[in-house]
Amino acid sequence: MREYAFFLGCIAPNRYPGAESASYKTAEKLGIKLLDLEGASCCPAPGAFGSIDLDIWYAMAARNLVLAEQMKKDIALICNGCYKSIWEVNHKLKHHPELKERVNEVLKGIDMEFKGTIDVWHLAELFYDPEIVGVQKIRDSVTVSLEGTRIAVHYGCHLMKPKKERHFGTTEHPTWLEEMVAALGAEPVEYRNKMLCCGAGGGVRGYDIVHSLDITNEKMINLMEAKVDALTEVCPFCQLQFDRGQIEIEEKFGVKYGLPVLHYCELLGLAQGMSPQELALDLHGISCEPFLQKVL
Amino acid sequence: MARTKGYPEALEKKLADTRLYEDESHPEFTKTVEKISMTIPHMCFQCGTCTASCPSAPRSSYRIRKFVRRALLGLEDEALTDPDLWLCTTCYSCTDRCPRDIAPTDVIMAMRNLAFKRDIIPVNFLKTVQAIYTTGHGVPNNDVNRAARKKLGMNADPPTTHAFPQYVKGIQYILDYYELKKNADRIVKEREG
Repeated sequence: MREYAFFLGCIAPNRYPGAESASYKTAEKLGIKLLDLEGASCCPAPGAFGSIDLDIWYAMAARNLVLAEQMKKDIALICNGCYKSIWEVNHKLKHHPELKERVNEVLKGIDMEFKGTIDVWHLAELFYDPEIVGVQKIRDSVTVSLEGTRIAVHYGCHLMKPKKERHFGTTEHPTWLEEMVAALGAEPVEYRNKMLCCGAGGGVRGYDIVHSLDITNEKMINLMEAKVDALTEVCPFCQLQFDRGQIEIEEKFGVKYGLPVLHYCELLGLAQGMSPQELALDLHGISCEPFLQKVL
Repeated sequence: MARTKGYPEALEKKLADTRLYEDESHPEFTKTVEKISMTIPHMCFQCGTCTASCPSAPRSSYRIRKFVRRALLGLEDEALTDPDLWLCTTCYSCTDRCPRDIAPTDVIMAMRNLAFKRDIIPVNFLKTVQAIYTTGHGVPNNDVNRAARKKLGMNADPPTTHAFPQYVKGIQYILDYYELKKNADRIVKEREG
């Protein structure tokens, strides 16, 4: 069993606890044990903190990294926003000694030192990596096939972009998450402008909600065109934007979609036999019932 | 750091080109933006691939290409006081597609950092700071969620600063080191009373 320090972030534990719960359980079935990272905080929000002062963003993320360094475990996480902060700051501090020095000057005040001894992974990439889990093992773990459902994937931005600094290959038309959806028995569905942002990032959701939702709405139009039963993603912030966002879109634009939105871990949980109650799907803004009726 | 031949001499040469000067130009602005962003807006040849890739462009007057131009021309006031500066969702599509290997997204982030030094910042950014200062979380737990967590057999509070609040003081130390909480409180109070 591989062990990772589980960096929770904010939105999964505090808004979609089913996604957190599903992560522990699905990962364990695939040979990954997620350990508590005691005292971790917000990553911190790359849009807000990065915009205010990048130095503060580096220092705050470094504090979270040091907690995992002290555990001597790599970090696994389930949010693209967290990936941006935790992966990218780890990478930057490892490759820019002057930056590391500046950050350690601050951390000294709380008896911490960033050493650069661990790596950071998104749980989805660990699931996809054939040396760690791989698609075949995901397929083998399925007990409730999602056969007969059409599922679209939203990759989000900060996991794979900017591509030159990451290691995921193409960001124009990736298909690795679709492979992971197909492994659950569902039919992955392509749709127009798949890689378009959800609209929430960079502080825009808080700064100009109508502008932010207009981007989401464009995605929703493209998704409805493809006649999908559900949307899956690997980022609770995107999840919030699509799920609660559909309610806000109805309020502000008068359009109703009712498209269920599930984190990949929630979807995998369903396919591994977890009940909707165990996934707290009732906390979702948009009812997952129509989708559940097709699979359960 | 910037991936371009002959840096920073090439930039100095470009800044010395009087054809690029306007009355409001501050060459120092260009250099500061490049230092913070670790990217090279002075290499931009204004092809517009960035704006064409931008999810915010079709629904607003925000033009990322214009901001990159402002970075090169040193148009500090024009860039930092433009409310469109805050419409970038940081999706990095422009960065992935730029044929000149510039990261326009990071140019925007650097400009936002410089705007904040002048107290130009939307309050929602500062409210996130205030939440983190108090709880460690930008989106803190609430009662509905606590009840749901218990129903799932989990602790009401996640094993973060929520269950271990003793870690919050480390966060407060970092934010106070940069006087961020003080400034956030002051600006929010000025705006909202």
